This record gives sequence, C-alpha cells and structure tokens, in this order.
Amino acid sequence: MATIVDHSALRVNQVGIIATILVAFAASAVFWPVVLLLPVLAVVLLVGTFVPHLALFKQLYFKVLKPRGMVKPRPLEDSPAPHNFAQGLGGAFLVAASVLLLVLPAAGLALALAVAALAFVNFSFNYCLGCQIYYLLGRRGLLAQS
Amino acid sequence: MILQVQAAALAGAGAAAGLAFAGARARAWVANRRALAQSAAPAPRPYILYFTTAACSICKTHQEPAFRKLGAGVDVRRIDALAEPELARRFDVITVPTTVVVAADGSPAHVNYGFASAQRLEKQLLQLA
Repeated sequence: MATIVDHSALRVNQVGIIATILVAFAASAVFWPVVLLLPVLAVVLLVGTFVPHLALFKQLYFKVLKPRGMVKPRPLEDSPAPHNFAQGLGGAFLVAASVLLLVLPAAGLALALAVAALAFVNFSFNYCLGCQIYYLLGRRGLLAQS
Repeated sequence: MILQVQAAALAGAGAAAGLAFAGARARAWVANRRALAQSAAPAPRPYILYFTTAACSICKTHQEPAFRKLGAGVDVRRIDALAEPELARRFDVITVPTTVVVAADGSPAHVNYGFASAQRLEKQLLQLA
C-alpha cells in the first residue's frame, strides 16, 4: 500500500537529534548537568516512535516550520515503518548512553556522539543504518514487514 | 577532568566509527564475492536484477528514478528481497537496494550495494555490450 512520507519532517528530526547531542556534548565542558539533554532526547525519540503525533521535532516541522514556509515539504511515496524503527533505535541507544553516563561518562558521550554521527550520515548521504537493520531483521524473519 | 572525558568520548566514537566502517566494507566484500560466484538466468542481452522491499525508502526516492534515466531499453527485473528470501540469500543481499548487473550468459558481472547511479549502471552495462 502506497503511503506518503514527508521527507522534510524526517530531515528536521535528524537536525534536531544532531543539534541536541552536539549542544549536550559541547556545553557539558562548562556545565556538566547539560548532559541531561541526552536522556530527555531519548524519551522524546522513544515517545515519538510509539506515538507519532508526539514526535517533538516532527511536530515542530508540521506546526511551525512548514506553515510558515521556513522548510519546504518533500512528500514522497514511502513507508514510515523503517524510519520509525530507526528513530526508536536511536532512542534506545541514547537510553544506553544515559545509563553509561552514570558509570562511564566517556563511553556514554561516545555512544551519544555515534547516534549524532549516524543521524548526520542519514541527513547528508541518505544512508539510514536503522532502515538497513530493519531490512536485515525482516530478511531473517525476526521482524514482520508488509 | 571533563575535557579529558570529552576527549576520551571523541576518541572512542572515532574508533568505533572506524571499526564499524571497516567491518561494513569487509562484509560487503564477502557478499560481493559470494554474489559474483552465483549464476542467474541467461537472456538475449545484459540485464539488471534489482532487489528491493516495499519499505525501502531510498529505492523509491533514488534508485527507481535512476532506472528511469537509463531508459526503457534496459531490462530491470524487480525482486522483493523479503518475498523471495531464497534468491536474496543466494545473492547475499545485505542491503536494499542491491543491483546485480547480469551478462547475457547469466553470470553476474557487477554487484552494487546501496544506491547505484544511472551513470554507474550504464557504465557497467556498457562493459558487457
């Protein structure tokens, strides 16, 4: 079944993820508690995965950026499932990063930076690692796909 | 102290990215060798086996427009990698899209993992002409 996915919403989401992680990383040098942005981002991503209308960055796009013409829409025939899966995976990695921050701060930050790097690769080169994992799980019969 | 933590984090993330990249390249190399050792159906002229899935985003946004640029004269055989797992396993399709450029005698000549531009596919087909 053909569905339409606005790829501008996906890109705003990726920018939001990259910006939040970089701000948390850079600002933690002067004010460590800023790293609390990472668990907050994890919650935002996971909530957005399961309740799409609560996806913060996508809602920012649909409610603010798109109506004001600040970002042009790019609707394409696509399936939202792999994108949602990738977002959930990012959220899960950020949960792990947040836990690691308590016991091994460098590893926690490194994992968060890896999430930002993957979001950047997706934004810049259209390579979505989460979507590939989604496919491989489907190929192995571990994830039902239409 | 915090700067040391950040430096260690950057080094760790860099090392992990390097290892992941090297691992992915090695896996693609193995898959490529396996796929090239397979055989497909012979045809009057070279053709492209195109592995995709219903949920493959880049297939619709990039790969299929690239096929349209090649023109109607190029035989592109679309295969749903999830609906035909045996075929996907045979050609070790580790990602979608995967394009296999097949010679007229049925031997795979090129395997492209991920998006393959029209220019690239055209060049690969020309090598078989």
